[in-house]
Amino acid sequence: MSQTVDEAPGAERAALRAGGRRKPSSRRRKEAFYFWLFISPWLIGFVGFLLGPMIASVYISFTEWDSFTPPQWVGLDNYAKALTEDPVFWKALGNTFYYALISVPLGLVIGVWLANLLNKRVRGRKLFRTFIYLPTLVPLVATAMVFKMVLAPSGPLNDLLGWFGVDGPAWLLDPTWVKPALIVLSAWGAGGATVLLLSAMNGIPRELYEAAEIDGAGSWRQFWSVTFPQITPVIFFNLIMGLIGSFQIFSQVYILTAGGPDNASQMIVPLLFREAFSFYHFGYASAVAWLLFLVILALTLVAFRWSRSWVFYEQEVR
Amino acid sequence: MTAAAAKPRTGPGRTRLLSAFKASPATYAVLLVVSAIFFVPFVLMVSISLSSDLTSSQNAFTVIPSEFEWRNFTEVFTATGLPVGRFVLNSVLIATLSAVGQVLSSSLVGYAFARLRAPGKGVMFIIVLATMMIPAQITMIPQFLLFKELGWVNTYLPLIIPNFFTNAFNVFLVRQFVSRISGELDEAAQMDGLGYFGVYRRIILPMMWPILTAIAIFTLTHAWGDFMGPLIYLNSEESMPLALGLQYMTGTSNEMQLPPWNLVMVGSIILTLPMIAIYYLGQKYLYEMNLQGGSAGVK
Amino acid sequence: MENTIRRRTLVQAAATAGVAAPLLAACGSGDDGNGPLKMVVWGGDLDKETYQARIDLFEAENPDITIELQLIPSDQYEQKVQTMIAGGDGPDIMQVAEGVNTYSSKSQILPLDDYAKDAGLDLEQRFGPVGSLYTFEDKVYAIPDRSGAMIVYYNKDLFDAAGVAYPTAEWTQEDAQAAMEKLTVAGTQWGYGGAGWWPQWWSFAYQNGGQIIDDGGQPTINSPEVVTALQWANDLAHEYHYVPTAAEYADMGPDMGGDPAFAAGTVAMNTTGFWAIGGLLEAGINWDIAPLWRGAQQAVSAFGSGLAISRDAKDPKKAFKAIEFLTGADAQEVIIDKAQDVPANLEVQQSDAFLAPSWATKPINMAAFGESADFIFRAPFIPQWNELQAALNDNLGTFWNEGGDAQTELDKIQTQLESIITD
Repeated sequence: MSQTVDEAPGAERAALRAGGRRKPSSRRRKEAFYFWLFISPWLIGFVGFLLGPMIASVYISFTEWDSFTPPQWVGLDNYAKALTEDPVFWKALGNTFYYALISVPLGLVIGVWLANLLNKRVRGRKLFRTFIYLPTLVPLVATAMVFKMVLAPSGPLNDLLGWFGVDGPAWLLDPTWVKPALIVLSAWGAGGATVLLLSAMNGIPRELYEAAEIDGAGSWRQFWSVTFPQITPVIFFNLIMGLIGSFQIFSQVYILTAGGPDNASQMIVPLLFREAFSFYHFGYASAVAWLLFLVILALTLVAFRWSRSWVFYEQEVR
Repeated sequence: MTAAAAKPRTGPGRTRLLSAFKASPATYAVLLVVSAIFFVPFVLMVSISLSSDLTSSQNAFTVIPSEFEWRNFTEVFTATGLPVGRFVLNSVLIATLSAVGQVLSSSLVGYAFARLRAPGKGVMFIIVLATMMIPAQITMIPQFLLFKELGWVNTYLPLIIPNFFTNAFNVFLVRQFVSRISGELDEAAQMDGLGYFGVYRRIILPMMWPILTAIAIFTLTHAWGDFMGPLIYLNSEESMPLALGLQYMTGTSNEMQLPPWNLVMVGSIILTLPMIAIYYLGQKYLYEMNLQGGSAGVK
Repeated sequence: MENTIRRRTLVQAAATAGVAAPLLAACGSGDDGNGPLKMVVWGGDLDKETYQARIDLFEAENPDITIELQLIPSDQYEQKVQTMIAGGDGPDIMQVAEGVNTYSSKSQILPLDDYAKDAGLDLEQRFGPVGSLYTFEDKVYAIPDRSGAMIVYYNKDLFDAAGVAYPTAEWTQEDAQAAMEKLTVAGTQWGYGGAGWWPQWWSFAYQNGGQIIDDGGQPTINSPEVVTALQWANDLAHEYHYVPTAAEYADMGPDMGGDPAFAAGTVAMNTTGFWAIGGLLEAGINWDIAPLWRGAQQAVSAFGSGLAISRDAKDPKKAFKAIEFLTGADAQEVIIDKAQDVPANLEVQQSDAFLAPSWATKPINMAAFGESADFIFRAPFIPQWNELQAALNDNLGTFWNEGGDAQTELDKIQTQLESIITD
């Protein structure tokens, strides 16, 4: 290494790591400088809007604070209260799990199924694709308003069920059915997943299908042996984003049920919102937010672990 | 240039259709039924929006439109006692500026992560990915207090400005997209003396349009329909976007009357149509984001 | 070529963004001192119109002060206003009611005694006993603005058709129930709109001699008197079917309830505030009003609201000047003229303008309000009002929707209240 005496040690190491090709160190440093310059929007946002607030949030969660009077340090009391005293917290957490663990897989199954159909040579493919994606384009507020009608005890959904001799429930008014009602609403938007899935299906090399065809595989076999493995990364991606998103469900609950009846549709984020902005329990609300984070983190880790057994990576991402 | 991401969809020989792509009558049947089910709420929305005040006040709606009160579409701007025109304008402003912010910042950051080498880059990228998992609610309260200190409450700034600092998901999308563009072009350009910003602006940016359009669509859709942000930050009627204004419309009718559902649904349609238009114009890019197997994994 | 054009649009867009940002900031609330006073109220179009007309009167007399009125949907009012205050962007003048001490206990609204003294305003004289309604720890936090008892609206045609005598203050709960029975036609017509809202079933509880929070500030919501009242209110719907159930209401349309159902002629009696009068004048039914029936004793809840000044007010003196005017005789008369509500100002309440209002297309028993005033009970305006309401909503949802046992639910609520109130 003595031949590079005039180079800064850091740049030297960087150069070595980058494959050993030696270039002038100033160029390396310039590149690094531009890297940090270019990512600065993200970096500033990360520090200012995420890291800083996160640290503040940890602190607030250890206090009792109404934002008007000075915060009072209470240690872990807020966490203890959520976990041991507040029955609504557990109910909301259970409801959120119920909602997320049904709506996300259901949405994915419907999404994959529809994407597979849309990936065929269908006449009017563009039109079908649009129809199926359309619900995703309706802003949640509008969706919620329409579903207030759709889910009325004598609304169109129950009319439809009536054709099959099913006596539909009172959906939003019934504690047993209010969560399924929210899941119905989310299933209506299942077409959203088809975008990424279709674009992934688009990119599957045709030769793979040709090979399968030669082996005598029918469409079902071709789906399971070619299409599915190839799109598992996107399915996994949708699964993770879907889980994270569904654990944060808010607008639908806020507009359609306000958490009722009897908190049967109370979810973590509306609960947190109520604690913060109706009761001024900023400390408690922050603690609930961190508990939510821990739940999401744990689930994500579980999902990653589980993904090793079924997600197929053709080439590893750097 | 825009076609850079297109893949050949049919084989060279135009041989017989592979089974995986054969559409059977059952395929059509399923697609028709699903489309119909997915479409019913729209029809209901349109039907209600075209019903008369009387039908609306009695809640005597039909799924198939039976009345055609087109004047509801002008009345919504005049007869609700709310500045609905202003709501629309606010939505446009917030959504457009948010999208501009995301496109500018994510393209720059994503490019840097895909192309530039620097010590610490790997760690940074792991941080980017990790932040995707953090629920916004954790930062909601401190952010609220931060914006309060900045005097931004009841302005659009809390809704718009964070977009100029991009988000992890979009950085990830751009980075994946740029990684797939061959590096020969920018190397050649660098030989010609183009700096890093020059490469970004002249070489990479022009090729990024598919992914940037997709990001613009995502951001527009999200900002246009966002409810919680405006609910927290916007206080005066004049500043509200349509998504929040619509909800106001259902809440401020007189005690003895139902909300003007017909006008609310007109509002919903106004809220929905631009999204459909944007999707229609941008769908080509959406389906060509090219996140095929292998490269889209969250690793 | 194509790329250059696109790049230019992008640059333009960026430039626009840069220019627009300061503009956006400017359209916020950055005014200090001389801007208009911001006033927030809840309700519907009529409320907005009435407040605006009163503000117009004030502005005509005080050309140097302008007031910007904003209406917030009733069900979001508390949350929205609290968020505004938490964000340092509280209104100058705000309407408050039962939740008043949520604000006063945290010093989010200003004590008004000194302002009243300076202005020479005698609350007792102007409003009677109601003058001290919004008092917390011996300080007045809001000036009464609207104040009227809950009353019974009844559909005369339906009563006549069923051969039932019109309701009076002398009716007992049993009389009321007997009337409801006769007024009910299974599946199409109901005797009563329901008592699921706290002012309604709490009235029955106080009629039975119960209390939600006792005089010592301790919750007593599971006392036998309250349990009986709540059970009765619920049985009317689920046991006797004199009141539409939640499912039956939902089938009449979204957001349906006693008020619109009464206007539509589907329920024969409905208990609510004065404000329904305005809407009913246009409805095609033949109706009148009466004081609420009684239990072991007479009791009825009052609907009222006051005007308060938030701690963010830029110029509280100016704001108080406005409040003083708005609760004065001239401005309060508008409340009657517009058929909005009962004005809190006693002088106006006893005037002919109120007892025989100009808009009444037919005689209305306006004396029902004065009659009720004698037996209004004072609801517990505790600082934890929002939590109290949440505890009720959280536990009584299914109970109201499907029926159930009042004792079980109230026991749960009692436990919850005990932990909320000792906090």
